[in-house]
Parts: sequence; structure tokens; C-alpha cells
Amino acid sequence: MNWSSNIKKIFFIFLILFFSSCFQEKKHLTFMVGGAPNEVDYWEKLIKEFYRKTHIKVELIRQPTDTDQRRQGLIIPLRAHKSAPDVFLMDVVWVAQFAGSGWLLPLDAFIKKDKINLGNFFSSIINQVDRTEQGLVALPVYNDCGLLYYRKDLLDKYGLSVPGTWSELVTNGLRVQTELRKENPKFYAFVWQGAQYEGLVCTFLEFATSFGGGLLDSVGNITIDRNENINALKFMYDLIHTYKISPPNTYTEMKEEEVRQFFESGNALFERNWPYAWGMHNRLSSPVKDKVGVSQLPKYPGKRRASALGGWHIAISKYSDCPDKAWELVKFIISYNTEKALALDLGWNPGRSDLYDDEELKKGIAHITVLKRAFENSVARPTLPYYTGISEILQRHLNGVIAGREKPEQALHDAQAEVELVVKNYSE
Amino acid sequence: MNNKGRDALLFILPLICFVILFILIPVIGTLLNSLRQDVSFMPKRFIGFTNFVRLSADQKFWQSVLFTLVFPAISVFLEMVFGMVIAITLNQTLKLRGLLRGIALIPWAIPGVISARIWQMIYRYDYGLANYLLKFVGIGPVNWLGSSSGAFLCLVMADVWRTTPFVAIILLAGLQVIPTELYEQAKVDGAGPIKRFLYITLPLLSPIIIVALIFRTIDALRVFDIIYVLTGGGPGGATTSLSIYGYRFYLLGDFGYGSAISVMLFIFALIFALIFIKAGKFGRLSV
Repeated sequence: MNWSSNIKKIFFIFLILFFSSCFQEKKHLTFMVGGAPNEVDYWEKLIKEFYRKTHIKVELIRQPTDTDQRRQGLIIPLRAHKSAPDVFLMDVVWVAQFAGSGWLLPLDAFIKKDKINLGNFFSSIINQVDRTEQGLVALPVYNDCGLLYYRKDLLDKYGLSVPGTWSELVTNGLRVQTELRKENPKFYAFVWQGAQYEGLVCTFLEFATSFGGGLLDSVGNITIDRNENINALKFMYDLIHTYKISPPNTYTEMKEEEVRQFFESGNALFERNWPYAWGMHNRLSSPVKDKVGVSQLPKYPGKRRASALGGWHIAISKYSDCPDKAWELVKFIISYNTEKALALDLGWNPGRSDLYDDEELKKGIAHITVLKRAFENSVARPTLPYYTGISEILQRHLNGVIAGREKPEQALHDAQAEVELVVKNYSE
Repeated sequence: MNNKGRDALLFILPLICFVILFILIPVIGTLLNSLRQDVSFMPKRFIGFTNFVRLSADQKFWQSVLFTLVFPAISVFLEMVFGMVIAITLNQTLKLRGLLRGIALIPWAIPGVISARIWQMIYRYDYGLANYLLKFVGIGPVNWLGSSSGAFLCLVMADVWRTTPFVAIILLAGLQVIPTELYEQAKVDGAGPIKRFLYITLPLLSPIIIVALIFRTIDALRVFDIIYVLTGGGPGGATTSLSIYGYRFYLLGDFGYGSAISVMLFIFALIFALIFIKAGKFGRLSV
């Protein structure tokens, strides 16, 4: 044995270790899911139950809570045509992009084979989101939409009603704010999501639609700079700078969690947030427990109510090496019982519409009829593969206006022009 | 090749493999990608410099370029100044010098995202430390990240805080090899502290300063983590660095355009590195 042959051995061992780590074999059906830690733990429980029922072993690939990171975690393997994950959850706004990229397996054949009744889902949601050129590519696991939370104790104290219109919200809000400011200088009447992020597009979509506007015209073309939208954006600006019923950090920091904490600390009268806030507001340690009411968001007189549609949909990867098993898992997750369990234990609003008439759920979730109506009034963000590009432009200009750097009319004209360029770049 | 040479080659072979696999191939891949229409929902094809033509007309890109150039200019300058002061201080014979050196390194030892989170807790409007302290002197609350310039300065401050120790430690290493006799001689000749700094410390330290500048400038050009956490590129796109801008296209599925942005960033970093190397006159001066 000489020195040099030892080195060679070490070198080859190194090489073997190095390359063996590159080729890991996939053993099970894989399901990629993220979210809050308790939610991911709950998924662990569900796949164990699935194993007991079907003897199909599922490996959970845990993802972080952050939505962008979850998306990134999916884009990498899908772009590389990897067979893992087989099944995954997608935010509603990714469905068009993933479907357009050909990454999703159409579910039509499975649905036909197993006679899944799509009538048990919200048809507006299925049609707006899941039915694509590539077929039916996903199914809703749970739905989200914007709601108005209010402090019923404060409204009662001053003899005010839940606002049905935006101007009522301003009047009632100002009234209560003036009173409470005497003791609490931190009090603001209305908190909502205004930071430069996706949530801002959702709030804008709600303001705009309830003012009679919207992002798409009747034939599906993007029309951002119409008068109703300009008025809605002006109103958002006024909430912060003219009526001063929304705090100045609305446009820098207010995302859903910041809004929830603000409201929960007792410093706000009204709050625009997603349904998850209900459970948080009413947990034992919450200072506003049992003082909160919830309703649909207000509107402009004579116009429609609108809630931005959020939520997560489940799909199978086109590159899955066991699509039949994957479908069994999907079928299990979108089943009446699983979605009911998710609703009862995690407070997720079912993707299925038939669950909103479930007696047990009606008892457990007192505001379930509010939710059902909100979902029926839900508006999806434009379902285009390049939606992110549009959203990015909107986020920037909307935030620019509510921060006072841009004027509403000019900002929406600019946004329209930039969006048209994106549409041109990404359509052939 | 003799035995020794072959052994040496074997020793560095893993490193060469590593560099080829994880650096060279991705870099070439990015270069090739930037010449293609590589959008996940569109057919792939070679399009030459179309992505770069699109970039040249993209206002947001130029806004990011401006930010990406101004940010390192200011933050690296401050880091060099503070780093120099700290390095000179720590080079003195002080009590507890070892402890002080250790403490000075802490910000650099903290991972970027975590130090960004720390600064987030300071800058927060409602429960932030800065506004809490301001309350005692009767000012505020200030919306730190609310304006373009405010957000910019907040980022600079966070970056300077985190990376000054790195500069300080590199400069300190340089200071320690300067022979003390030179200073003693200068003292005898009647040179004051400022003259000694200008005519001894600075020239002898310049190769080290250049090294620190190269590292820091390239690092600051690629800044991502603190922006991702603190401002997300806002308000209104005012703090979007090229890395943040490229990342947006990655999420959008437009890998070609995102790659083109990365290539531009690569070119900027290369230009700066070349300028510094040229200015540092490596090759003529031995470090």
C-alpha cells in the first residue's frame, strides 16, 4: 500500500458519497403541503387515516408558511419534471399558471370514473378557477374570501348598526373613533390590508367591484382604469389621509396578520380580513373574545357586494409516477368527511358547497350563512397564467396611491398601459 | 507529471468538480436561458437578445439598476468608514481586547434573515423599538419604512450594522502585519496621528481595503435577504434590487427574462470587480 493509492481510495469514496446523494429514490406517493405548523401536523394525521383506509402510504413533504416560498417549492420540481410531489395544494391564483404550463394532470377521466358530483361544489368557483383549457385540473379544498369583522360591543354602546355601505362605515367609524380617541390615542376605526403585496390586490378588487368596477370587462379584457375603479382607489386613499380612520402604516406594514393583531389588541372597530381571523379573535387569550361580529363587506349604494376569492386547490402533477394512487388521495381529501373535519378542527371553510348545509357545521360555525353568501358573491382575480405580472404592477401602483406618491387616475392609467405590455409579451 | 503533481491534482479535483457542477454549469445555463423564450406556459425557443431588448425598455428594470448601484455605494462606503474605526480601535492594546473583538463580530455571525427580522422589530410602526424610544422624547411615531428614502436609509442601516464587523475583521488582519517600527519612526520624525494614518496605514492597507471592497461591493450588489424581509421591494418598488426583481419573474414562470436580469447583475459585479482589481494594482504590490 502506498500513499497515492490511499488517496485514490479516499477520493473514490468521496465521489461515491457525493453522487449517491444526488440520486435519491422515491418510495411513496408524495404530498407537498405547507402552512402553519398546526395545519401541517393535521395533514400528518389525515394521511395516517388515509393509510388505514386504503393502505396507500403517503409521504408528506413539509413546506413553510410563506405563500411565495410554497410556490417556489413547487415550481422547482415541476419545472424539472420530477415525479415528487405527486399531489400538492395551490393557491387559487397559481392554478392558471400551473395549468398553462402543462404541469397539472386533468382530472376529468377520474371524476367520470368515480362519479364525483361537481354540483356539490360552488359552481362559480369551479368555473372561475379550476376549469381551464387543459380540462378540469384542480378541486377546491378550502375557500377564502374577504369579510368585515366588527366590534359588536362598541357598535351597541353607541347605538350603531353594522354598515351596509362604505359611507355608513365611514360615518359610524368616525363617530366611534372620536369617542374612543379621548382615552386611546392608538384607536383607528378601520384596518385593512394595504402593504405592497398580493393582499392589496384582493382588497382593491373588493373595493373596486363593490363600487361597480372590477379588473375584467364582460368579455374578459383587462380594464383597470375605468371611473369606478378610480373612485374606489380614491376612497382607499381617503380612508387613510382624509377621514383618517385607517392608520398610516396601512400602506407599509398591514398584511393579514398585522391587521388581525391590530384589531385583536382592541384598537380598531372594523377589520377587513380572511375567515381565519374569526377563530383567532375568539380564542381564549384574545382580548376581543366574544365581542366580535362578522358580516359581508359593505358596498356602494346600488352596486353588488364583493369578496375577493382566495383558498387552496388540490391537484396532481402531470409527472406523477402513480396517478391512480394520487387520485385516491385527492378523492379522500375533497370528500365530504375530510373537508368537514378540516372545517371543524382547523376552521377551514369547505371547498364543497353541500357542507354549508351540514347541521353539525351550522352549529359549530355560527356565521356559516354569512360565509356561504360571501362565497356566492366572490370575485376571482384574473385567471391568467401571467397573473403574477399583472398583480405586481397593480401592487406597485395601488400602494403608490394609498401612500400618497401617485394620483389615483394617473396611477391606474399607468397600470393599464403596463399591464397591456405584459399581456402583449405573454400572449402569442 | 510526477507523483507529487498527480497527488496535488487529485486533492483539488473534488473542488474542481464542485465548481464545475455547482457554479460553472449554472452560470452557463443562466447565460443560455437569457437568450431563450423560457416561459413555463409558452413554447420554448431561442430568441437571441430579445430579453435584453425588453430589459432596455423596462422602466422598473432601470429603477432597480439605480437602486442596485446606489445601495452598495452608500452602504459599502459607511461600512468601510466604520469598519476602519473599529479595526483601528481593536488594534490598540486595550483591556479585554479579545472580548471586544468577539462582541464586534456578533452582527456578522447572525444569519441575514434573522438580523433582518431583528431590524423589523426595531422599525415596526406600532410595536417597534425605535418608535417606543422616540415616545420618551415626545416625537413620533415615525413610519420608518413608509417613504422611499426612509425605507432606503433603514435598509442601509441594517446592512451597515450587519456587515461592518466583516470589514473590520479583514482590515484588522491587515493592520496587524504593518510593522510597528514604521509608526515609531514616524513619531520620531514628528508625524501626528492623522499624518501617520494617511502616509503609513492607508497605503500599506490598500490591498486589504481593495479585497474588502470587492467582497462587500459584490455582496451588496446582490442584496436580497434584508430587502425580502424588511420592505419586500416597496414602498412602490423603491427598494427593488436586481435580485428581488429577477426573483419576481422566477415566480411568474418567466425564467428567460429572470435569467437576463441575473446576467446583467453578473456583468455589473464583474465590472466593479475589474475596476477594483485594476485600482488595487494587484500583481505590482505584494499583499
